[in-house]
Amino acid sequence: MWRGLWTLVARAARGPRSPRPCTRQGSGVPVPGSGTTIFALSSGHGRCGIAVIRTSGPASGHALRSLTAPRDLPPARSACLRLLSHPRSGEPLDRALVLWFPGPQSFTGEDCAEFHVHGGPAVVSGVLQALGSVPGLRPAEAGEFTRRAFAHGKLSLTEVEGLADLIHAETEAQRRQALRQLDGELGHLCHGWAGTLTKALAHVEAYIDFGEDDNLEEGVLEQANSEVRELQLALGAHLRDARRGQRLRSGAHVVVAGPPNAGKSSLVNLLSRKPVSIVSPEPGTTRDVLETPVDLAGFPALLSDTAGLREGAGPVEQEGVRRARERLEQADLILAVLDASDLASPSSRNFLDTVVAPAGAGSPNGNSQRLLLVLNKSDLLPPGGPDPSPNLRPHLLLSCLTGEGLDGLLEALRKELAEVCGDPSTGPPLLTRARHQHHLQGCLDALGHYTQTKDLALAAEALRLARGHLARITGGGGTEEILDIIFRDFCVGK
Amino acid sequence: MFSLRNCGLWVAASLTKKRLTLARFSGDSAAPLATKFDVIVIGGGHAGTEAAAAAARCGSRTLLLTHRVDTIGQMSCNPSFGGIGKGHLMREVDALDGLCSRICDQSGVHYKVLNRRKGPAVWGLRAQIDRKLYKQNMQKEILNTPLLTVQEGAVEDLILTEPEPEYTGKCRVSGVVLADGSTVHAESVVLTTGTFLRGVIVIGLEMHPAGRLGDQPSIGLAHTLEKLGFVVGRLKTGTPPRIAKESINFSILNKQTPDNPSIPFSFISETVWIKPEDQLPCYLTHTNPKVDEIVLENLHLNSHIKETTRGPRYCPSIESKVLRFPNRLHQVWLEPEGMDSDLIYPQGLSVTLPAELQEKMITCIKGLEKAKMIQPGYGVQYDYLDPRQITPSLETHLVQRLFFAGQINGTTGYEEAAAQGVIAGINASLRVKRKPPFVVSRTEGYIGVLIDDLTTLGTNEPYRMFTSRAEFRLSLRPDNADSRLTFRGYKEVGCVSQQRYERASWMKSSLEEGISVLKSIEFSSSKWKKLIPEASISIGKSLPLRALDVLKYEEVDMKLLATAVPAPLKKYITCRELAERLKIEAIYESVLFHQQQQIKEVQQEEALQLPKDLDYLTLRDVSLSYEVREKLHFSRPETIGAASRIPGVTPAAIINLLRFVKTTQQRQAAMDELSNTDQYLCETDKLEERHL
Repeated sequence: MWRGLWTLVARAARGPRSPRPCTRQGSGVPVPGSGTTIFALSSGHGRCGIAVIRTSGPASGHALRSLTAPRDLPPARSACLRLLSHPRSGEPLDRALVLWFPGPQSFTGEDCAEFHVHGGPAVVSGVLQALGSVPGLRPAEAGEFTRRAFAHGKLSLTEVEGLADLIHAETEAQRRQALRQLDGELGHLCHGWAGTLTKALAHVEAYIDFGEDDNLEEGVLEQANSEVRELQLALGAHLRDARRGQRLRSGAHVVVAGPPNAGKSSLVNLLSRKPVSIVSPEPGTTRDVLETPVDLAGFPALLSDTAGLREGAGPVEQEGVRRARERLEQADLILAVLDASDLASPSSRNFLDTVVAPAGAGSPNGNSQRLLLVLNKSDLLPPGGPDPSPNLRPHLLLSCLTGEGLDGLLEALRKELAEVCGDPSTGPPLLTRARHQHHLQGCLDALGHYTQTKDLALAAEALRLARGHLARITGGGGTEEILDIIFRDFCVGK
Repeated sequence: MFSLRNCGLWVAASLTKKRLTLARFSGDSAAPLATKFDVIVIGGGHAGTEAAAAAARCGSRTLLLTHRVDTIGQMSCNPSFGGIGKGHLMREVDALDGLCSRICDQSGVHYKVLNRRKGPAVWGLRAQIDRKLYKQNMQKEILNTPLLTVQEGAVEDLILTEPEPEYTGKCRVSGVVLADGSTVHAESVVLTTGTFLRGVIVIGLEMHPAGRLGDQPSIGLAHTLEKLGFVVGRLKTGTPPRIAKESINFSILNKQTPDNPSIPFSFISETVWIKPEDQLPCYLTHTNPKVDEIVLENLHLNSHIKETTRGPRYCPSIESKVLRFPNRLHQVWLEPEGMDSDLIYPQGLSVTLPAELQEKMITCIKGLEKAKMIQPGYGVQYDYLDPRQITPSLETHLVQRLFFAGQINGTTGYEEAAAQGVIAGINASLRVKRKPPFVVSRTEGYIGVLIDDLTTLGTNEPYRMFTSRAEFRLSLRPDNADSRLTFRGYKEVGCVSQQRYERASWMKSSLEEGISVLKSIEFSSSKWKKLIPEASISIGKSLPLRALDVLKYEEVDMKLLATAVPAPLKKYITCRELAERLKIEAIYESVLFHQQQQIKEVQQEEALQLPKDLDYLTLRDVSLSYEVREKLHFSRPETIGAASRIPGVTPAAIINLLRFVKTTQQRQAAMDELSNTDQYLCETDKLEERHL
């Protein structure tokens, strides 16, 4: 417990600000930390109906009184309509709902105030300026509210990270996922694992400290072993899942690939609704990988346009082709684009054989790459459709020129991306932080050591290590917890 | 085997009124009878004997005050020493040249290392001890210790004087007042009074004060401590009845034989005093539903059970076992009390029923059908002082130069008491010499874990050592206690004899040399397989294997390895202990590297000292909640590390404290610099202003 705490403390102590040079006593520099009061717009930037401005710290009450003078503080935790005015000039700013949350029953555990003002930029900046003029208040650093809440024990580490996600959520799917994490669902899951692990460790520790001549029930160790095995399975399954969460954060990698002049760049421009790539009828126009972040059917994605795949072009284009192939290997989803009117050409056939066919076949570990086959330039086709080709896998017809088939493509993309990213509203809470993944992997590795070790002191050490990793996510992990379980579960001592 | 230890110490001592005043026994025959000592130790139990001997070893003229010289070294509860975790403590006490391990090597009747199959880090050295022999040997040791004087007498009060201004504390102890009114002056006082504080014996519904009648000296002392403002809590424990040996039918019970060869407790004992074949066996029997029935039917006759006072969870009475884990058979070990003792100690049968029901209960147990109860079991309730009121050197926050050790701090067990005794004795002596305290960190030993837990977390049940309490269990092993503590004890304190120091130094250099030789021998796995066919080495490995790696295999020991590669290794198997320790080092080699990193991190955090004189309640420059201030005020952590282990002290508070410490340090550094080079500081200040 104490080691974990120390890490937190060290992390928090470093804080976001650069180290302040040492000043002599009495220089009047305010001490950073929970002594000061912070304020910020917490409803996100940009146009909105209502904007929420928050303060946290001991001067919150003073600030609220200053802006709503001559009225006194409203009753705790109930919304009141107040006229806000600048404390210096007395100039009216807005008619707003204000809320007063005296600590410790507040979001951060400190005294907090909320101003729900009309969302125009002028009003918001006016109120922020007014707050800045109140002595003892300063603008908050990024994430500072959350850190304070955490420091006062209001949020678990998982919840803090979920909240950070919420702040940065740019798409609906991300927001949904962040909300789920803030609810502590991931926390619950980790707590469940930590509970199982703590119990297994307690039983091993009991076996070490009392096994020799106390009569622990038979099979204490066997039970711990089977619990560890189950945990290994659960963690393993979750870690495979966790990659989906990672993709959601930075966006799924969608790579558009195909033979030269199939219309890949046209498709990228169509999907991103802006001219990302230069488009020309000349094959080999795109020579490098071009990336653009897009919102595809509600999912964040990183869309990559690549050079057309062909042999024997110039050195620059060859390098482009090499990069395109590299990118194809990293893709979460491949949009394979072919010219519908040119399916029989050698470059089209080659592409179908080398890229489309392997992706469809899938690999033995079940990690087959997702691929959508798009036949572009449907406008050039005769009314009967493309040549009947029995070997052609399911595909979508599209005309980048006319936009025909785009709705079908978007629907197909939504389905694929929901699979790739995991549906946050129905699936298990995804591990969205590399940190989580790191510690869960560390936990899993340590459990592996446990099962391989014969020396029981070493085996117990592996379990302690595993529990330490989980405690980095959930907090807790003290010795007393272990002893409590030992004395609850066993009749030990004489 | 874990059980109630110490519990009856003062019961035995205080039931007799006989008191010899001013009869002194000195190991230093040339010393005149003095009225002034460097260190006074009150109490002759396991904490007191270690404290007195340690202070004397450090060169302090020491007085041990006890009710009766003939109770010095009395084992008042179970007839055994050591066990898992407890054996670790004994090794550490021994590494500081303490007494109990050496005395046990001369007094045991059944030596057995527990946990043999679970890895050397958790081996538990343990022995059944002959009570009479232990007492005899301990008294011989104490009465022959140079600089140590023993006097019979009961302490009535402390002599208190003005505090030293440079230390915290509201007064300073400068001696004691005895029951006959005489006074003895001293520079430090160590209190190891066990369960003397308002001790009460309970059998059935009968309760009587353990210290009889109003003239007991402990009452006066208890009043003094209370008046000084020490926070007192209450604990309970118990002891089983004693059974006549010849009335037990051992032939139908499971017999447990001792180890062959016996492993001694002390680093400087080559062997124990008795051959394995001459040692006594233990026997195992079990309770049955009949026992449950008797307990459950008579709960109304059992006031000890009804009390809400906390007893140990790991040393429960048979009543609480039946209540908490019904319908089970509980183990009862029948342990010999000594070579020529006709008593048997039924470990696991601690009970406070009325005496006649105890006998009835005993006789329904297998093998005990005709057992004769010689003495009934009883419960003891007593006061202890919240250990958060003492520093890691075991000095009290309130009274300068007053040290507490043993059961008075809420612990249970002979070994826990002995461990505190050594530390209190050493520090009482260091304090007189105005030297910095000797503190064992939790990264260095179980002693450190014990004292850190007590002083930062306190305890609300009798505290007992378990290996699970030690974070760095793989580093804090019974085999290497000397390398952890002997050198510190020798160099920093002077409590370690030259002979022990030389032995530890030889062992250290032999180990280092041995390990580097084992690392230097490299063969292919197939060659190793040929050399040592017994080992399960897989031949597929392409990399060469070091001898140290081969030694990790369960089937391989130094003897086997030295037969395979005799030239450089033969000399390491001449000493049994060296060969065994090389094997242990090999087992833990890879993990210990990582553990050393963690230990360094912890030590860094322990290096962040909090000023001792910090007044947390009025401290201005730090933002702390009142609750946190109170907690810090009470425990007075000495480092940021210790503060972060106090429950309820939030990370925010730690950050603020850390910031405070840092700015104070920087301010202090700046002030120091200011006094040295005024001009230089002015210039650097200007630079900083520009940065701002």
